[in-house]
Amino acid sequence: MSVVELDDVVKRYQSGEEVIEALKGVDFHADRGELVTVIGPSGSGKSTMLNMIGLLDTPSEGTVRIDGRDVTHFTEDELTEERRSGIGFVFQAFHLLPMLTATENVELPSMWDTSVDRRDRAVDLLERMGLGDRLDHTPDRLSGGQQQRVAIARALINQPSIVLADEPTGNLDQETGRTILDELTRLKEDEDVAIVAVTHDELLTEYADRTVELVDGRIK
Amino acid sequence: MGPTDLLWRYPSVLMAWRNLGRNRVRTALAALGIVIGVIAIASLGMAGAALQYQATSDLGSLANEVTVSAGPDSEYDGVTEEQVDEIRSLVTDAVVVPQKTNRTTISTRSGEAFVSVTGVTQASALYEVSSGDAPDRLETGALISNGTARQLGLERGDPVEYDGRLYRIRGFIESEGGFGPPGGGNELVLPVSALADQDHYDTVTVIAADGEQSSRIAEDIEAHFNRAGRDEEEILNVFSFAGAQENINSFLNTLNLALLGIGSISLIVASVAILNVMLMSTIERRGEIGVLRAVGIRRGEVLRMILTEAAFLGVIGGALGALLSLAVGLVLFDLVTGDPTLVFAWAGLRYLVVGFGFAVGASLLSGLYPAWKAANDRPVDALRG
Repeated sequence: MSVVELDDVVKRYQSGEEVIEALKGVDFHADRGELVTVIGPSGSGKSTMLNMIGLLDTPSEGTVRIDGRDVTHFTEDELTEERRSGIGFVFQAFHLLPMLTATENVELPSMWDTSVDRRDRAVDLLERMGLGDRLDHTPDRLSGGQQQRVAIARALINQPSIVLADEPTGNLDQETGRTILDELTRLKEDEDVAIVAVTHDELLTEYADRTVELVDGRIK
Repeated sequence: MGPTDLLWRYPSVLMAWRNLGRNRVRTALAALGIVIGVIAIASLGMAGAALQYQATSDLGSLANEVTVSAGPDSEYDGVTEEQVDEIRSLVTDAVVVPQKTNRTTISTRSGEAFVSVTGVTQASALYEVSSGDAPDRLETGALISNGTARQLGLERGDPVEYDGRLYRIRGFIESEGGFGPPGGGNELVLPVSALADQDHYDTVTVIAADGEQSSRIAEDIEAHFNRAGRDEEEILNVFSFAGAQENINSFLNTLNLALLGIGSISLIVASVAILNVMLMSTIERRGEIGVLRAVGIRRGEVLRMILTEAAFLGVIGGALGALLSLAVGLVLFDLVTGDPTLVFAWAGLRYLVVGFGFAVGASLLSGLYPAWKAANDRPVDALRG
C-alpha cells in the first residue's frame, strides 16, 4: 500500500479576478523505501502538488490518502496531527530556527510532547549524519550542507512514513548536494520512508527510483 | 541537568525566552515601557496612600470621638445624670466619659495662669500623660498640662488649689499641636467631685474604636434624644468629627482614582508599544512560524509560545517597575509622613501589586492579537512568506 496517494486532485486558486487551475487532475503515489522526484518547469504546479502531499493545503477536487486513509476533509487541527506524526519536511532554505542548537532544532517537531524524550534519537540521527561534534552549534555556526543535514534529521525525528523535500539541493554546491543525496538515499532504506523531492536539479533524478514530470498541472 | 534542560520541559517558555533574546534591544525597550507604566501607576497610587495616611493621622483620635452637650431645647443647662445613663445604655460598645468644666486662675510663686478645669473620672480615656499617671478612676489628685506646669514651676506632688481645696499633681498632660484634644492649652484635670456644685455635666465624650463607629453612635444618640422634621427638637447637641473625616477620605479617594487614572494612561501606552513589538516580531517571523506549523506544531502551541513572550515582557517589566516603585514609595512616604517604612503597610504595598498585575495583564492582552494572528496563519501562506 502506498503511504501517500493523490487521486485525480484538482487545485484552483483565486488570483484577483481570474481563477488559476494549478493542478488539473493529478494521480500520484509513493511507497516506503522509494525516492520519487517531481520535475517540471516553473509554474507547472510542483509546489502545489507538494503542498497537497504534505497536507499543508487541501485540494479543490479529488482525494488525498495517507496510509490508505482519506484525509481530504480533515480539519486544520487533524491535518496538523497527521503532519506531526507522519510527514517530515526538508526545505530549500533549510529553515532551521536560529536561536536553537542543532539538537534542539532536530527535536523541534516533538518539542511540545513532553511525555516522550527524543533527545537520544535526535543525537543518534545527528551522529549518523556526521554531525556528532556539532550538537550544540546554532545554525549560524554550521555550513549550508550541515544545516541541511540537521533539517533532514529534523524531518526524521518523529519516524514519519513520508519525507517531503522541496529543492533540497537548491542552495548547495554540487559536491555538497551529492553528499546530501547520498544521505537521503541511505535514510530512505534505513528508516523505510518514502521520499518525495521536487527539483530542477538534474543530479537529483540520478538518485531517484522514479521520476514524475509535471507540465501545466498534469503528470506527463 | 542544566537550566536549559529544565526549561525544555516547558517548551513555550524556552522558545519565548530564546525569541526575546534574539533582539535584546527591542525586548529591553518594550520592557522599559512597562517599567515606566508600572512606576507611574504604583507611585501615584502610593502618593495617594501617603496623603491619606497623613490626613488620617492629623485628624488623630478626634475622628473617633462624639461630643454631646446640652442642646437649645433642653430644660437643663447641661447633660443630666439620667441622660448620661441613657447614653450609656444606648452605647454599649464604646467608652462614655461625662465631664464637668469650669475655669479658674491658679497662682504660685512663679506666676499666675488662667486654666480650664475639667472634672472627669475616667481621665485615662481622654488624656495622654507624658509623665506621672492618668488613672482610670481619678478620685484624688490632679493632672495639669505640661506647659502650664512649666510656666507655674509646678512639679509632681505639688498642691494646686481649686474651690478652696487642694489637689496634688500626679501627672502631666502631653501638649498636642493641631487638632489635639483639649489640653493643648492650659488645662487642669480634677476628680469630678471637685466640681460637685455643678449639677449637670457640660459635655459627654463618647470614644469609639474608629470613625465609622463614632458616626453610627452619633446617629443613635441623635435619634434617641432629638426629633428631626417640622417640629424638630434638639435636646442634646451631638457633634462628631467622623463626618469631616469621611469628607476628607472621599476627597482623597477621588484624588487617588484620578492619580491612578493618569498612571494607567502610561501603562496603556506601554501596552500599545508591546502590541506593536509583538506584532512586528510575529510578522518578521512569519516564515519561521510557518515552518513550526508545517512540522506539526499545533496552533495552540504557537499561541502559547507567543503569549508567553508577551507575559515575559510583562513580568520582567512589572517586576523591575515594582522594585523601582518601592524605592519611589520609600522616598514619598518619607517626604509626606516622615516614616519611609510605612510603605510596607498594605495600603501602600498594594499599589505595587496593582502595578505588577496591571503590567502582566496589559502585556497578555497586547500579546493576544499577534499570537492569535500567528497561530491561525495558514502554514502554506506563511511558508510562502
